[in-house]
Amino acid sequence: MIGIEHYVVVSAILFVLGVLGIFLNRKNVIVILMAIELILLAVNINLVAFSAFLGDLTGQIFAMFVLTVAAGEAAIGLAILVIYFRGRGTIAVEDANRMKG
Amino acid sequence: MEFQASLALVAPELVLSLSGLALLLAAAWGGDKASRLISILAVAALVGAGFLAAPALCNGASGPDTLAFGGQVKVDAFAAFAKLLIYLAAAASLIVAPAFFERVKAMRAEYPVLVLFAAMGMGIMVSAADLVTLYIGLELNSLAAYVLAAFLRTDERSAEAGLKYFVLGALASGFLLYGMSLTYGFAGTTSFAGIHAALAGDMSKGALFGLVFVLSGLAFKISAAPFHMWTPDVYEGAPTPVTTFFASAPKVAAMALTMRVVVDAFGAQVQAWQQIVMIVALVSIVVGALGAIGQDNIKRLMAYSSINNVGFILIGLAAATQQGASAMLVYLAIYVAMTIGGFVAILMLKDANGEPVEQIAQIAGLSSHRKVLAVCLAMIMFSLAGIPPLFGFWGKFLVFQAAVQAGMVPLAAIGIAASVIGAFYYLKVVKVMYFDEPANVAVGKSDWAHQALLAICAIFISPLGYLLTGWLGGMADKAAAALYFVG
Amino acid sequence: MHPILLIVFLPLLAAIIGGLGNRGLGNTVVKSLTTGALFASCGLSWMTFIPFLAGTAEASVVPVLTWVHSGTLTFDWALRVDALTAIMLVVITTVSALVHLYSWGYMAEDPDQPRFFAYLSLFTFAMLMLVTANNLVQMFFGWEGVGLASYLLIGFWFKKPSANAAAIKAFVVNRVGDLGFMLGIFGTYLVFQTTSIPEILAAAPGMSGASMTFLGMHLQTMDVLCILLFIGAMGKSAQLGLHTWLPDAMEGPTPVSALIHAATMVTAGVFMVCRLSPMFEAAPVALAMVTFVGAATCFFAATIGTTQWDIKRVIAYSTCSQLGYMFFAAGVGAYGAAMFHLFTHAFFKALLFLGAGSVIHAMHHEQDMRYYGGLRKHIPLTFWAMMAGTLAITGVGIADVFGFAGFYSKDAILEVAWARGTELSHFAFWMGTIAALLTSFYSWRLVFLTFFGKPRWDQSEHIQHAVHDDHGHAAHGHDDHAHHDAHGDGTAGYHPHESPVSMLIPLGVLSIGAIFAGLVFAPPFLQSEEFWGGAIYYNEALLHAMHGVPVWVKLAATVVMLIGVTTAWFAYIKDTSIPGKFVAQFRMLHAFLYNKWYFDELYNFLFVKPAFWLGRQLWMRGDVGLIDRFGPNGAAWVVARGTLAAKRVQSGYLYSYALVMLVGLVAAITWVML
Repeated sequence: MIGIEHYVVVSAILFVLGVLGIFLNRKNVIVILMAIELILLAVNINLVAFSAFLGDLTGQIFAMFVLTVAAGEAAIGLAILVIYFRGRGTIAVEDANRMKG
Repeated sequence: MEFQASLALVAPELVLSLSGLALLLAAAWGGDKASRLISILAVAALVGAGFLAAPALCNGASGPDTLAFGGQVKVDAFAAFAKLLIYLAAAASLIVAPAFFERVKAMRAEYPVLVLFAAMGMGIMVSAADLVTLYIGLELNSLAAYVLAAFLRTDERSAEAGLKYFVLGALASGFLLYGMSLTYGFAGTTSFAGIHAALAGDMSKGALFGLVFVLSGLAFKISAAPFHMWTPDVYEGAPTPVTTFFASAPKVAAMALTMRVVVDAFGAQVQAWQQIVMIVALVSIVVGALGAIGQDNIKRLMAYSSINNVGFILIGLAAATQQGASAMLVYLAIYVAMTIGGFVAILMLKDANGEPVEQIAQIAGLSSHRKVLAVCLAMIMFSLAGIPPLFGFWGKFLVFQAAVQAGMVPLAAIGIAASVIGAFYYLKVVKVMYFDEPANVAVGKSDWAHQALLAICAIFISPLGYLLTGWLGGMADKAAAALYFVG
Repeated sequence: MHPILLIVFLPLLAAIIGGLGNRGLGNTVVKSLTTGALFASCGLSWMTFIPFLAGTAEASVVPVLTWVHSGTLTFDWALRVDALTAIMLVVITTVSALVHLYSWGYMAEDPDQPRFFAYLSLFTFAMLMLVTANNLVQMFFGWEGVGLASYLLIGFWFKKPSANAAAIKAFVVNRVGDLGFMLGIFGTYLVFQTTSIPEILAAAPGMSGASMTFLGMHLQTMDVLCILLFIGAMGKSAQLGLHTWLPDAMEGPTPVSALIHAATMVTAGVFMVCRLSPMFEAAPVALAMVTFVGAATCFFAATIGTTQWDIKRVIAYSTCSQLGYMFFAAGVGAYGAAMFHLFTHAFFKALLFLGAGSVIHAMHHEQDMRYYGGLRKHIPLTFWAMMAGTLAITGVGIADVFGFAGFYSKDAILEVAWARGTELSHFAFWMGTIAALLTSFYSWRLVFLTFFGKPRWDQSEHIQHAVHDDHGHAAHGHDDHAHHDAHGDGTAGYHPHESPVSMLIPLGVLSIGAIFAGLVFAPPFLQSEEFWGGAIYYNEALLHAMHGVPVWVKLAATVVMLIGVTTAWFAYIKDTSIPGKFVAQFRMLHAFLYNKWYFDELYNFLFVKPAFWLGRQLWMRGDVGLIDRFGPNGAAWVVARGTLAAKRVQSGYLYSYALVMLVGLVAAITWVML
């Protein structure tokens, strides 16, 4: 029987993968955007699972909002990436350290 | 009928969103030539929204009457206090923008529209009474902010600032969301009042997890250490008017939101978050001070200064009392004035060609050729350092007083001791301006709007500001009472 | 408005305006302002004093301001006016006003005159606060205020290292006394639960014989308190042991010496003992100490005075000696006699100092009496003033006919010391009598060396400079003046000039005081209980006994005075080789006296050197090695390191920023889970 714990564990694994993806990856900013999507996915799994478990619709509505915002976020992220690439000619994470200290 | 009452309550947000949409159309239609006009209209919209928000504060509105949309939104005096500060800060950053962007031929009509949307998002943040509202408000603000950070498209530093802000902001949003999902799962509801009721008594591990994740996400927004890493880079890279905006309005919004969340949603679990807030406060003070000392870019220095100040404000939160909340609000008001004054002064630092001057070494001997500006900047620095008789001292005094009265003498003592480190870098700026060999770089003149803004801020933080302590304290007390309203 | 308010606060107002206005107001304005204020204050003081003489005035207290009301500790600013205060008011304001006037002439060439006059007025205010105090705390305020003014005025020529050293010495030595005074005040408050002087004095007789335990010793409460208070008086009044600052204080301008170090501030100790006389009467051991220290100082200072060459130092030691008289008079219970001597002494000692100042002025700042001589004809008015002062201090007079001021007061002290009849009072009598002989000797020695004999000016560098400067300006026709030796009369071609009229008027007024003050004021001071009106402890029996002393006691002072004059005449007029022979014969004794009993050397060895050693240890090991190293410097080091670390963490890389956030998150989770 698949219970709420399984969903939460899967979600936690996805979340950790997403977070690791952000700072283990040093090559490509696109991978970071994907990692962020992974985190949001983990959140959505959580919300929907809890919603079903609790018999409460709020979680699913929340998940819809998250999806919507995630779409906007991805669009803005890619846009920023584009202007960054135009200026710098690279999207390697390692190169983004003009400002430090 | 209920829907109409709800609409009336969120009138400021309605004004901002409708005027934002209208101005967006105007921008699309009129192009960049209309940007000055659109800026003026945006300021007018902010002023109008402010007037709509003010009555709630003056009346000290609190309780069930302030709830709108079935308890999703809470438009009480506390929200109104924060909104007024946010609108003021947003208006200031609109006023200083044209002069800056026109010089680099990047004055675009989207700027005022984005600021309006961000301000609306922050308005929603501070009146959130539900996790969903919170999230929507936060993202509305954040998405606008990411774009604003990267607003100078051709400037590499601006693009890098936008990228860093976006990535880390998204990560922080992820923390926040994950925490909210856990909280929802363990409390069974997303409304603050419901969470408060559900978590009363012993708190489960899962809910604790959720609490920590939520706080981490909020800590990012207020740039409290160790979630502050984005701040110096973004403040340095973003265009200065945008930095002015970042350093003032979102700080108020995120801080108010944090207060709302920990009091309204997690108010029954004070012992769970109080120690975290204390540690975060102290770490922020120390990291802000240490980081600032090594800086030679004045915008970066202001970034660390904001981290440092956030630490002091959090001491009021750690007190976890109504008095602490009131002290935080007063501090926020003074902080906004100091920050806007500081950045306006930085915007006024220009060389003979009008190029902005950002290096501290370049303002050496400023007192010899820009006397008034040097005096104002020196006052702002002294005030940020919390040196009496300037007004900045009053905010620090209030939060420390709140901490002491909540029985947190060691916290207050460490905070006061750490503020001494902070005094070093503020005074360094003053020393460079007054005692170093004149570099004669920052000789450019500024327009009257900058001068007027700087004058207002300087007068507010000058000892004359103490004339306002009664009035300001009264407003903050009303707001704090609304926050702690138990109905 | 009560006149006392004007008396006290006019000088303060003048000091503030003059001091802050300083050069902005200009010399003449500040000088007129301060001097005018002082003369007004002086006139009002005499108007306050005369009703007391006539016996028509009552003691009163004028409240000024609330000061401290904290628990049981309550004291206010208030001005007390009674006979004792009135005497001091007259002394202070008269001498101060005259000194202000005198300074117009004496300081005429000084570039910093407004500062000088403001200091003088400030001093006067502080001294007035001291004598009008109705509680011990206000008295302490005045006490420290005069100390401050004294410091400022001794070090007035602050570019002169010796003046600075003297100012610091005066301040530091007084700190020793002040510690005693403060402990005395604290103790008094502890015992009496009040600082109000009238309340303390009313309760004091009842405390006689009470004892307290301190560090396991049983002590008489009143003795302990009074000895502590008297230590304060010893410091301020330069009594044996704490006297070393007074001679050095002569580095200050001469008007300052006349005002502060002769007539007023140094008498504050005597005033305090008289003010608290009912307390001292309840403390026999303390009174014995007062008597002994006073008598010893009186003798000791007089011996030193006989050997000094510097005209101002001779008068300074003379002051020290005369203060000794006042103290042992108080010690034997004759507070009226002590105050009377204080009163007459103020006139003749201020006169002597101002006269000396006039001589110094005439002799182009030469102070060494070896280079004086024969000045009588050149500065006759100064000479006669100095004569009046000398006659007064040596106590010339014939009983029941006429005597100069000192004759009445000093004789009264000696008689009362004998009349007291204890061993200690007889010791004091003999000490006082020997001191009277020495006083007569050194005073006349001063007069003879300065005004009689042949000029010995040519050996003085100051005079040579003056002559040289003169010649720089003079026409070249006077060739003969270019050769100093050509004169052969010891004048080196120098012509002393009589001082300006602003300096002569004070000399004249004070001369009148020195001549007549004894005759006029002896009856009220010594024989009228009504006059005192309870302001001091009045010992009726003792004053009766005073009239019954043997005739030889009454004559003793006059006889030794005559011996002193004669000796001085032989040694410095008749045969000027006698002093040299005497010195050759008693080399050791002379060296001992000439070096002031080696007190400075002794203190240097006992206190100064160990203090320096200790200070250096604490500084190098304690402060630099420990506190600085682990305190400020250590903190700065940590901050610098922290800054480097903060910069390094802020690497600019996205992934390290994310890592820091994650670390923070994990740490927070760990914290709440544990």
